[in-house]
Amino acid sequence: MTLEVKGLVKVFPGAVLTKTAPLRALAGADLTADTGVTGLGGPNGSGKTTLFKTLAGILEADGGTIMLGGEAADPRRLRTLAAYCPANPRSFYFRLSAAENLRFFGALAGLSPAEAAASAVKLAGRLGLSAADLDRRFDRLSEGNMQKISLIRAFSRHAPLLLLDEPFRGLDGISCRGLLELIAEAGLNSTVLVTSHSRELLSAAAARTLRIENGRVPAGGAA
Amino acid sequence: MIAAFIRRDFLAERSYRLSFALGALATLGNLAVFYFIGKLFGGALAPQLEPFGAGYFPYVFTALAFFGYIGTGAGSYAGQLRLEQTQGTLEATLSTPLDTVRFLAALTAWNFLFATFELSVYALAGIFIFKLDLSAANWPAAGLVFLLSAACFAALGILSSCFVMLFKRGNPLAWILNNFEGLLGGVYFPVAVLPAWLAVISKLLPVTYAVRAFQLAVHTGAGLSVIKHDLLALMIFDVVLIPASVWLFALTVGRARRAGTLGEY
Repeated sequence: MTLEVKGLVKVFPGAVLTKTAPLRALAGADLTADTGVTGLGGPNGSGKTTLFKTLAGILEADGGTIMLGGEAADPRRLRTLAAYCPANPRSFYFRLSAAENLRFFGALAGLSPAEAAASAVKLAGRLGLSAADLDRRFDRLSEGNMQKISLIRAFSRHAPLLLLDEPFRGLDGISCRGLLELIAEAGLNSTVLVTSHSRELLSAAAARTLRIENGRVPAGGAA
Repeated sequence: MIAAFIRRDFLAERSYRLSFALGALATLGNLAVFYFIGKLFGGALAPQLEPFGAGYFPYVFTALAFFGYIGTGAGSYAGQLRLEQTQGTLEATLSTPLDTVRFLAALTAWNFLFATFELSVYALAGIFIFKLDLSAANWPAAGLVFLLSAACFAALGILSSCFVMLFKRGNPLAWILNNFEGLLGGVYFPVAVLPAWLAVISKLLPVTYAVRAFQLAVHTGAGLSVIKHDLLALMIFDVVLIPASVWLFALTVGRARRAGTLGEY
Protein backbone atom coordinates (compact mmCIF):
# COMPACT_ATOMS: atom_id res chain seq x y z
CA MET A 1 0.00 0.00 0.00
CA THR A 2 1.53 3.30 -1.08
CA LEU A 3 1.88 6.02 1.49
CA GLU A 4 2.06 9.56 0.15
CA VAL A 5 2.61 12.45 2.54
CA LYS A 6 2.60 15.98 1.20
CA GLY A 7 3.37 19.19 3.09
CA LEU A 8 2.58 17.73 6.49
CA VAL A 9 2.53 20.36 9.22
CA LYS A 10 2.20 19.82 12.94
CA VAL A 11 2.47 22.68 15.39
CA PHE A 12 2.18 22.10 19.13
CA PRO A 13 0.64 25.20 20.68
CA GLY A 14 2.59 27.10 23.30
CA ALA A 15 1.37 27.48 26.86
CA VAL A 16 -0.40 30.80 27.38
CA LEU A 17 0.46 31.19 31.08
CA THR A 18 4.15 30.34 30.79
CA LYS A 19 4.41 32.14 27.44
CA THR A 20 6.10 29.13 25.82
CA ALA A 21 6.45 29.53 22.07
CA PRO A 22 4.58 27.10 19.79
CA LEU A 23 6.68 24.19 18.52
CA ARG A 24 6.65 23.54 14.78
CA ALA A 25 7.47 19.82 14.88
CA LEU A 26 6.60 19.11 11.25
CA ALA A 27 7.21 21.92 8.81
CA GLY A 28 5.84 20.62 5.53
CA ALA A 29 7.17 17.07 5.48
CA ASP A 30 6.92 15.16 2.19
CA LEU A 31 7.34 11.42 2.03
CA THR A 32 6.45 8.58 -0.29
CA ALA A 33 6.83 4.94 0.66
CA ASP A 34 5.64 1.78 -1.06
CA THR A 35 5.16 -1.71 0.28
CA GLY A 36 8.51 -2.62 1.78
CA VAL A 37 10.72 -1.18 4.47
CA THR A 38 11.75 2.47 4.59
CA GLY A 39 14.14 3.75 7.20
CA LEU A 40 13.94 7.20 8.71
CA GLY A 41 16.91 8.77 10.44
CA GLY A 42 17.41 12.15 12.00
CA PRO A 43 18.67 13.87 15.12
CA ASN A 44 16.73 14.15 18.40
CA GLY A 45 13.80 16.49 18.07
CA SER A 46 13.80 16.39 14.27
CA GLY A 47 10.17 15.27 14.11
CA LYS A 48 10.38 11.49 13.69
CA THR A 49 8.01 10.61 16.54
CA THR A 50 5.59 13.41 15.63
CA LEU A 51 5.55 12.17 12.04
CA PHE A 52 4.85 8.60 13.19
CA LYS A 53 2.13 9.65 15.63
CA THR A 54 0.48 11.69 12.89
CA LEU A 55 0.69 8.79 10.45
CA ALA A 56 -0.79 6.52 13.14
CA GLY A 57 -3.78 8.85 13.56
CA ILE A 58 -2.88 9.64 17.16
CA LEU A 59 -2.18 13.29 16.36
CA GLU A 60 -4.17 15.43 13.95
CA ALA A 61 -2.08 17.35 11.44
CA ASP A 62 -2.44 21.11 11.10
CA GLY A 63 -1.77 21.02 7.39
CA GLY A 64 -0.83 18.81 4.48
CA THR A 65 -2.28 15.56 3.18
CA ILE A 66 -1.81 11.90 3.86
CA MET A 67 -2.83 9.40 1.16
CA LEU A 68 -2.84 5.68 1.77
CA GLY A 69 -3.50 3.31 -1.09
CA GLY A 70 -4.40 6.27 -3.28
CA GLU A 71 -7.14 7.49 -0.92
CA ALA A 72 -7.07 10.36 1.52
CA ALA A 73 -6.49 9.06 5.00
CA ASP A 74 -7.97 11.03 7.91
CA PRO A 75 -6.91 10.17 11.47
CA ARG A 76 -9.79 7.71 11.91
CA ARG A 77 -8.79 5.76 8.77
CA LEU A 78 -5.15 5.86 9.82
CA ARG A 79 -6.00 4.35 13.21
CA THR A 80 -7.66 1.48 11.38
CA LEU A 81 -4.86 0.91 8.88
CA ALA A 82 -1.73 1.72 10.87
CA ALA A 83 -0.03 -0.08 13.75
CA TYR A 84 2.38 1.98 15.81
CA CYS A 85 5.13 0.80 18.12
CA PRO A 86 6.11 3.76 20.33
CA ALA A 87 9.64 4.41 21.49
CA ASN A 88 8.46 4.42 25.11
CA PRO A 89 7.07 1.29 26.84
CA ARG A 90 4.94 3.45 29.14
CA SER A 91 1.81 2.55 27.25
CA PHE A 92 0.89 -0.70 28.97
CA TYR A 93 -1.00 -1.70 32.09
CA PHE A 94 1.86 -2.38 34.47
CA ARG A 95 -0.13 -4.54 36.92
CA LEU A 96 -1.37 -6.89 34.21
CA SER A 97 0.69 -9.65 32.68
CA ALA A 98 2.27 -9.11 29.28
CA ALA A 99 -0.11 -11.67 27.77
CA GLU A 100 -3.15 -9.91 29.27
CA ASN A 101 -1.94 -6.60 27.88
CA LEU A 102 -1.61 -8.14 24.43
CA ARG A 103 -5.04 -9.71 24.73
CA PHE A 104 -6.57 -6.34 25.67
CA PHE A 105 -4.89 -4.29 22.94
CA GLY A 106 -5.54 -7.13 20.49
CA ALA A 107 -9.26 -6.88 21.26
CA LEU A 108 -9.18 -3.14 20.53
CA ALA A 109 -7.64 -3.92 17.16
CA GLY A 110 -10.22 -6.60 16.38
CA LEU A 111 -8.25 -9.72 17.33
CA SER A 112 -9.99 -12.54 19.18
CA PRO A 113 -8.35 -13.72 22.44
CA ALA A 114 -7.20 -16.89 20.68
CA GLU A 115 -5.67 -14.93 17.79
CA ALA A 116 -3.94 -12.54 20.18
CA ALA A 117 -2.54 -15.41 22.26
CA ALA A 118 -1.35 -17.38 19.22
CA SER A 119 0.25 -14.32 17.73
CA ALA A 120 1.93 -13.45 21.04
CA VAL A 121 3.46 -16.92 21.41
CA LYS A 122 4.66 -16.99 17.80
CA LEU A 123 6.21 -13.53 17.84
CA ALA A 124 7.68 -13.98 21.33
CA GLY A 125 9.64 -16.96 20.05
CA ARG A 126 11.01 -14.89 17.17
CA LEU A 127 12.14 -12.14 19.54
CA GLY A 128 13.66 -14.43 22.16
CA LEU A 129 10.96 -13.89 24.75
CA SER A 130 9.99 -16.89 26.87
CA ALA A 131 6.46 -18.09 27.63
CA ALA A 132 7.16 -17.35 31.30
CA ASP A 133 7.88 -13.73 30.38
CA LEU A 134 4.53 -13.49 28.61
CA ASP A 135 2.84 -14.56 31.84
CA ARG A 136 4.90 -12.19 33.97
CA ARG A 137 3.44 -8.94 35.24
CA PHE A 138 4.43 -6.16 32.87
CA ASP A 139 6.20 -4.05 35.51
CA ARG A 140 8.42 -7.01 36.39
CA LEU A 141 9.83 -7.31 32.90
CA SER A 142 13.20 -5.90 31.93
CA GLU A 143 13.15 -2.83 29.71
CA GLY A 144 14.24 -4.88 26.71
CA ASN A 145 11.45 -7.36 27.26
CA MET A 146 8.95 -4.50 27.63
CA GLN A 147 10.10 -3.34 24.22
CA LYS A 148 9.50 -6.81 22.82
CA ILE A 149 5.91 -6.75 24.11
CA SER A 150 5.45 -3.37 22.47
CA LEU A 151 6.76 -4.81 19.20
CA ILE A 152 4.49 -7.86 19.48
CA ARG A 153 1.49 -5.55 19.97
CA ALA A 154 2.33 -3.71 16.74
CA PHE A 155 3.22 -6.76 14.64
CA SER A 156 0.12 -8.70 15.79
CA ARG A 157 -2.17 -6.32 13.95
CA HIS A 158 -0.78 -7.24 10.52
CA ALA A 159 -1.56 -3.67 9.54
CA PRO A 160 -0.98 -2.35 6.00
CA LEU A 161 1.09 0.47 7.53
CA LEU A 162 3.55 -0.45 10.27
CA LEU A 163 5.33 2.33 12.14
CA LEU A 164 8.25 1.27 14.32
CA ASP A 165 9.76 4.09 16.37
CA GLU A 166 13.19 3.11 17.71
CA PRO A 167 12.27 -0.61 17.67
CA PHE A 168 15.80 -1.81 18.51
CA ARG A 169 15.92 0.15 21.76
CA GLY A 170 17.03 -2.07 24.64
CA LEU A 171 17.25 -5.27 22.57
CA ASP A 172 20.19 -7.66 22.74
CA GLY A 173 22.01 -8.81 19.58
CA ILE A 174 20.02 -12.02 19.08
CA SER A 175 16.71 -10.20 19.55
CA CYS A 176 17.84 -7.51 17.09
CA ARG A 177 18.46 -10.22 14.49
CA GLY A 178 15.02 -11.71 15.17
CA LEU A 179 13.47 -8.27 14.80
CA LEU A 180 15.29 -7.59 11.54
CA GLU A 181 13.79 -10.81 10.14
CA LEU A 182 10.32 -9.84 11.32
CA ILE A 183 10.64 -6.39 9.76
CA ALA A 184 11.74 -7.92 6.45
CA GLU A 185 8.78 -10.32 6.50
CA ALA A 186 6.32 -7.55 7.35
CA GLY A 187 7.74 -5.52 4.47
CA LEU A 188 6.60 -8.15 2.00
CA ASN A 189 2.95 -7.18 2.52
CA SER A 190 2.99 -3.90 4.42
CA THR A 191 4.48 -0.45 4.16
CA VAL A 192 6.93 -0.40 7.05
CA LEU A 193 8.60 2.74 8.37
CA VAL A 194 11.42 2.32 10.89
CA THR A 195 13.38 4.92 12.84
CA SER A 196 16.66 4.33 14.60
CA HIS A 197 19.66 6.29 15.77
CA SER A 198 21.84 3.37 14.75
CA ARG A 199 22.87 3.75 11.10
CA GLU A 200 23.94 0.09 11.01
CA LEU A 201 20.61 -1.22 12.21
CA LEU A 202 18.67 1.18 10.03
CA SER A 203 20.54 0.14 6.90
CA ALA A 204 20.20 -3.53 7.88
CA ALA A 205 16.44 -3.09 8.26
CA ALA A 206 15.73 -0.95 5.22
CA ALA A 207 17.14 -0.83 1.71
CA ARG A 208 15.97 2.77 1.45
CA THR A 209 16.52 5.31 4.18
CA LEU A 210 15.42 8.92 4.45
CA ARG A 211 16.47 11.66 6.80
CA ILE A 212 14.24 14.10 8.61
CA GLU A 213 15.56 17.42 9.88
CA ASN A 214 13.66 20.30 11.43
CA GLY A 215 10.36 18.67 10.54
CA ARG A 216 11.15 18.24 6.84
CA VAL A 217 12.28 15.30 4.77
CA PRO A 218 14.65 16.74 2.13
CA ALA A 219 13.91 15.33 -1.33
CA GLY A 220 16.03 12.25 -1.93
CA GLY A 221 17.87 12.87 1.31
CA ALA A 222 19.46 9.66 2.49
CA ALA A 223 20.08 9.14 6.19
CA MET B 1 -14.84 -5.01 23.30
CA ILE B 2 -16.65 -4.24 26.56
CA ALA B 3 -15.65 -7.69 27.85
CA ALA B 4 -12.00 -6.83 27.19
CA PHE B 5 -12.27 -3.68 29.29
CA ILE B 6 -14.10 -5.52 32.07
CA ARG B 7 -11.47 -8.26 32.16
CA ARG B 8 -8.66 -5.69 32.20
CA ASP B 9 -10.18 -3.71 35.07
CA PHE B 10 -11.09 -6.81 37.06
CA LEU B 11 -7.52 -8.10 36.82
CA ALA B 12 -6.12 -4.71 37.81
CA GLU B 13 -8.55 -4.43 40.74
CA ARG B 14 -7.81 -7.97 41.88
CA SER B 15 -4.11 -7.15 42.01
CA TYR B 16 -4.90 -4.76 44.88
CA ARG B 17 -6.50 -7.37 47.14
CA LEU B 18 -6.60 -5.44 50.40
CA SER B 19 -8.23 -2.43 48.76
CA PHE B 20 -10.87 -4.75 47.28
CA ALA B 21 -11.74 -6.21 50.70
CA LEU B 22 -11.66 -2.87 52.52
CA GLY B 23 -14.01 -1.37 49.95
CA ALA B 24 -16.63 -4.01 50.68
CA LEU B 25 -16.22 -3.53 54.44
CA ALA B 26 -16.58 0.25 54.08
CA THR B 27 -19.95 -0.24 52.41
CA LEU B 28 -21.25 -2.22 55.38
CA GLY B 29 -19.71 0.22 57.87
CA ASN B 30 -21.44 3.10 56.13
CA LEU B 31 -24.78 1.35 56.44
CA ALA B 32 -24.24 0.66 60.13
CA VAL B 33 -23.78 4.39 60.80
CA PHE B 34 -27.20 5.21 59.40
CA TYR B 35 -28.76 2.18 61.11
CA PHE B 36 -27.69 3.48 64.52
CA ILE B 37 -28.75 7.03 63.66
CA GLY B 38 -32.14 5.56 62.81
CA LYS B 39 -32.22 3.70 66.13
CA LEU B 40 -31.23 6.84 68.03
CA PHE B 41 -34.18 8.78 66.74
CA GLY B 42 -36.57 5.84 67.01
CA GLY B 43 -39.38 4.96 64.70
CA ALA B 44 -41.06 8.36 64.91
CA LEU B 45 -41.85 9.57 61.42
CA ALA B 46 -40.57 13.06 60.66
CA PRO B 47 -43.20 15.07 58.76
CA GLN B 48 -40.82 15.44 55.80
CA LEU B 49 -40.66 11.65 55.55
CA GLU B 50 -44.42 11.13 55.53
CA PRO B 51 -44.83 11.25 51.71
CA PHE B 52 -42.37 8.38 51.50
CA GLY B 53 -44.09 6.27 54.18
CA ALA B 54 -40.75 5.23 55.63
CA GLY B 55 -38.68 5.87 58.75
CA TYR B 56 -35.28 7.53 58.54
CA PHE B 57 -33.22 4.38 58.21
CA PRO B 58 -35.26 2.75 55.41
CA TYR B 59 -35.26 6.13 53.63
CA VAL B 60 -31.52 6.69 53.81
CA PHE B 61 -30.79 3.00 53.15
CA THR B 62 -32.59 2.90 49.80
CA ALA B 63 -31.35 6.38 48.85
CA LEU B 64 -27.73 5.40 49.52
CA ALA B 65 -28.07 2.12 47.66
CA PHE B 66 -29.67 3.89 44.71
CA PHE B 67 -27.34 6.89 44.74
CA GLY B 68 -24.33 4.61 45.14
CA TYR B 69 -25.22 2.92 41.88
CA ILE B 70 -26.26 5.87 39.76
CA GLY B 71 -23.39 7.92 41.20
CA THR B 72 -21.01 5.38 39.66
CA GLY B 73 -21.57 6.97 36.29
CA ALA B 74 -21.01 10.46 37.65
CA GLY B 75 -17.71 9.65 39.31
CA SER B 76 -16.11 6.83 37.41
CA TYR B 77 -15.66 8.34 33.95
CA ALA B 78 -13.37 11.10 35.18
CA GLY B 79 -11.59 8.70 37.54
CA GLN B 80 -10.96 6.07 34.89
CA LEU B 81 -9.82 8.60 32.33
CA ARG B 82 -7.41 10.16 34.81
CA LEU B 83 -6.04 6.70 35.62
CA GLU B 84 -5.46 6.03 31.91
CA GLN B 85 -3.66 9.37 31.63
CA THR B 86 -1.34 8.75 34.56
CA GLN B 87 -0.62 5.18 33.46
CA GLY B 88 0.25 6.39 29.97
CA THR B 89 -2.25 4.04 28.38
CA LEU B 90 -4.79 6.58 27.12
CA GLU B 91 -2.82 7.38 23.99
CA ALA B 92 -2.24 3.70 23.27
CA THR B 93 -5.93 2.91 23.74
CA LEU B 94 -7.03 5.78 21.52
CA SER B 95 -4.48 4.89 18.82
CA THR B 96 -6.63 1.88 17.93
CA PRO B 97 -9.74 1.85 15.71
CA LEU B 98 -11.90 2.24 18.85
CA ASP B 99 -14.48 5.03 18.34
CA THR B 100 -15.73 7.46 20.97
CA VAL B 101 -19.06 5.81 21.70
CA ARG B 102 -17.59 2.35 22.16
CA PHE B 103 -14.75 3.77 24.24
CA LEU B 104 -17.21 5.51 26.55
CA ALA B 105 -19.42 2.42 26.78
CA ALA B 106 -16.47 0.25 27.74
CA LEU B 107 -14.47 2.66 29.90
CA THR B 108 -16.59 2.29 33.04
CA ALA B 109 -18.22 -1.08 32.36
CA TRP B 110 -16.27 -2.66 35.20
CA ASN B 111 -17.28 0.16 37.60
CA PHE B 112 -20.94 -0.46 36.81
CA LEU B 113 -20.48 -4.19 37.25
CA PHE B 114 -18.84 -3.66 40.62
CA ALA B 115 -21.57 -1.18 41.58
CA THR B 116 -24.13 -3.87 40.74
CA PHE B 117 -22.31 -6.22 43.10
CA GLU B 118 -22.36 -3.53 45.81
CA LEU B 119 -26.06 -2.98 45.17
CA SER B 120 -26.63 -6.71 45.67
CA VAL B 121 -24.74 -6.52 48.99
CA TYR B 122 -26.95 -3.59 49.98
CA ALA B 123 -30.09 -5.51 49.02
CA LEU B 124 -29.08 -8.67 50.89
CA ALA B 125 -28.03 -6.65 53.95
CA GLY B 126 -31.30 -4.72 53.84
CA ILE B 127 -33.40 -7.86 53.73
CA PHE B 128 -31.48 -10.23 56.00
CA ILE B 129 -29.58 -7.99 58.44
CA PHE B 130 -31.63 -4.81 58.75
CA LYS B 131 -35.00 -6.55 58.06
CA LEU B 132 -36.33 -3.79 55.82
CA ASP B 133 -39.92 -4.13 54.63
CA LEU B 134 -39.99 -3.46 50.89
CA SER B 135 -43.19 -5.39 50.22
CA ALA B 136 -45.01 -2.30 48.93
CA ALA B 137 -42.41 -1.57 46.27
CA ASN B 138 -43.40 -1.07 42.65
CA TRP B 139 -40.31 -2.64 41.10
CA PRO B 140 -41.11 -1.98 37.41
CA ALA B 141 -41.54 1.75 38.17
CA ALA B 142 -38.39 1.73 40.31
CA GLY B 143 -36.54 -0.03 37.49
CA LEU B 144 -37.56 2.64 35.00
CA VAL B 145 -36.38 5.39 37.36
CA PHE B 146 -33.17 3.44 37.79
CA LEU B 147 -32.45 3.23 34.08
CA LEU B 148 -33.25 6.87 33.36
CA SER B 149 -31.20 8.02 36.34
CA ALA B 150 -28.19 5.83 35.57
CA ALA B 151 -28.11 7.15 31.99
CA CYS B 152 -28.40 10.73 33.18
CA PHE B 153 -25.60 10.38 35.71
CA ALA B 154 -23.39 8.60 33.19
CA ALA B 155 -23.85 11.62 30.92
CA LEU B 156 -22.85 13.93 33.78
CA GLY B 157 -19.82 11.71 34.33
CA ILE B 158 -18.85 11.97 30.67
CA LEU B 159 -19.18 15.76 30.86
CA SER B 160 -17.00 15.71 33.95
CA SER B 161 -14.37 13.64 32.14
CA CYS B 162 -14.15 16.35 29.44
CA PHE B 163 -12.46 18.55 32.05
CA VAL B 164 -9.97 15.76 32.74
CA MET B 165 -9.24 15.44 29.02
CA LEU B 166 -8.63 19.18 28.76
CA PHE B 167 -7.07 20.16 32.09
CA LYS B 168 -5.93 16.82 33.56
CA ARG B 169 -6.48 18.00 37.16
CA GLY B 170 -9.04 20.50 38.39
CA ASN B 171 -12.56 19.38 37.60
CA PRO B 172 -15.32 21.81 38.64
CA LEU B 173 -18.14 19.49 37.60
CA ALA B 174 -16.77 16.64 39.71
CA TRP B 175 -16.47 19.10 42.59
CA ILE B 176 -20.16 20.02 42.27
CA LEU B 177 -21.24 16.41 41.85
CA ASN B 178 -19.22 15.25 44.85
CA ASN B 179 -20.17 18.05 47.19
CA PHE B 180 -23.70 19.05 46.33
CA GLU B 181 -25.56 16.13 44.79
CA GLY B 182 -25.88 14.30 48.10
CA LEU B 183 -26.57 17.45 50.08
CA LEU B 184 -29.18 18.99 47.79
CA GLY B 185 -30.61 15.93 46.09
CA GLY B 186 -32.46 14.30 48.96
CA VAL B 187 -30.06 11.43 49.48
CA TYR B 188 -29.49 11.80 53.22
CA PHE B 189 -32.76 13.58 53.99
CA PRO B 190 -35.82 14.68 51.98
CA VAL B 191 -35.35 17.99 50.15
CA ALA B 192 -38.38 19.32 52.06
CA VAL B 193 -35.95 19.87 54.97
CA LEU B 194 -34.00 22.43 52.93
CA PRO B 195 -34.69 26.17 53.16
CA ALA B 196 -36.68 27.56 50.24
CA TRP B 197 -33.70 29.06 48.39
CA LEU B 198 -31.75 25.79 48.53
CA ALA B 199 -34.86 23.85 47.50
CA VAL B 200 -34.96 25.97 44.33
CA ILE B 201 -31.36 24.98 43.52
CA SER B 202 -32.13 21.34 44.23
CA LYS B 203 -34.79 21.45 41.50
CA LEU B 204 -32.03 22.09 38.96
CA LEU B 205 -30.32 18.81 39.81
CA PRO B 206 -31.38 15.50 38.26
CA VAL B 207 -30.58 13.65 41.48
CA THR B 208 -33.54 15.36 43.19
CA TYR B 209 -36.02 13.87 40.74
CA ALA B 210 -34.23 10.54 40.64
CA VAL B 211 -34.12 9.99 44.40
CA ARG B 212 -37.67 11.19 45.03
CA ALA B 213 -39.15 9.00 42.29
CA PHE B 214 -37.16 5.99 43.39
CA GLN B 215 -38.10 6.42 47.04
CA LEU B 216 -41.79 6.80 46.20
CA ALA B 217 -41.74 3.72 43.96
CA VAL B 218 -39.91 1.59 46.52
CA HIS B 219 -41.56 2.70 49.77
CA THR B 220 -45.10 3.58 48.71
CA GLY B 221 -45.45 1.50 45.54
CA ALA B 222 -46.07 4.66 43.51
CA GLY B 223 -46.85 3.97 39.87
CA LEU B 224 -46.10 5.93 36.73
CA SER B 225 -49.06 8.28 37.24
CA VAL B 226 -47.68 9.43 40.60
CA ILE B 227 -44.06 9.92 39.53
CA LYS B 228 -44.72 11.07 35.96
CA HIS B 229 -43.34 14.58 36.56
CA ASP B 230 -40.11 13.20 37.96
CA LEU B 231 -39.82 10.76 35.06
CA LEU B 232 -40.44 13.54 32.57
CA ALA B 233 -37.72 15.66 34.18
CA LEU B 234 -35.27 12.74 34.03
CA MET B 235 -36.16 12.10 30.37
CA ILE B 236 -35.51 15.75 29.51
CA PHE B 237 -32.14 15.60 31.29
CA ASP B 238 -31.33 12.40 29.35
CA VAL B 239 -32.35 13.76 25.96
CA VAL B 240 -30.21 16.85 26.44
CA LEU B 241 -27.25 15.48 28.40
CA ILE B 242 -26.51 12.16 26.68
CA PRO B 243 -25.90 13.41 23.13
CA ALA B 244 -24.31 16.64 24.43
CA SER B 245 -21.86 14.78 26.64
CA VAL B 246 -20.77 12.32 23.94
CA TRP B 247 -20.38 15.15 21.43
CA LEU B 248 -18.36 17.28 23.84
CA PHE B 249 -16.17 14.34 24.78
CA ALA B 250 -15.41 13.68 21.11
CA LEU B 251 -14.54 17.37 20.74
CA THR B 252 -12.13 17.28 23.68
CA VAL B 253 -10.44 14.14 22.32
CA GLY B 254 -10.06 15.91 18.96
CA ARG B 255 -8.56 18.91 20.68
CA ALA B 256 -6.11 16.68 22.57
CA ARG B 257 -5.11 15.07 19.27
CA ARG B 258 -4.48 18.49 17.74
CA ALA B 259 -2.61 19.85 20.76
CA GLY B 260 -0.66 16.62 21.24
CA THR B 261 -1.76 16.26 24.85
CA LEU B 262 -3.33 12.81 24.64
CA GLY B 263 -0.26 11.26 26.25
CA GLU B 264 0.15 13.97 28.90
CA TYR B 265 -0.84 13.77 32.56
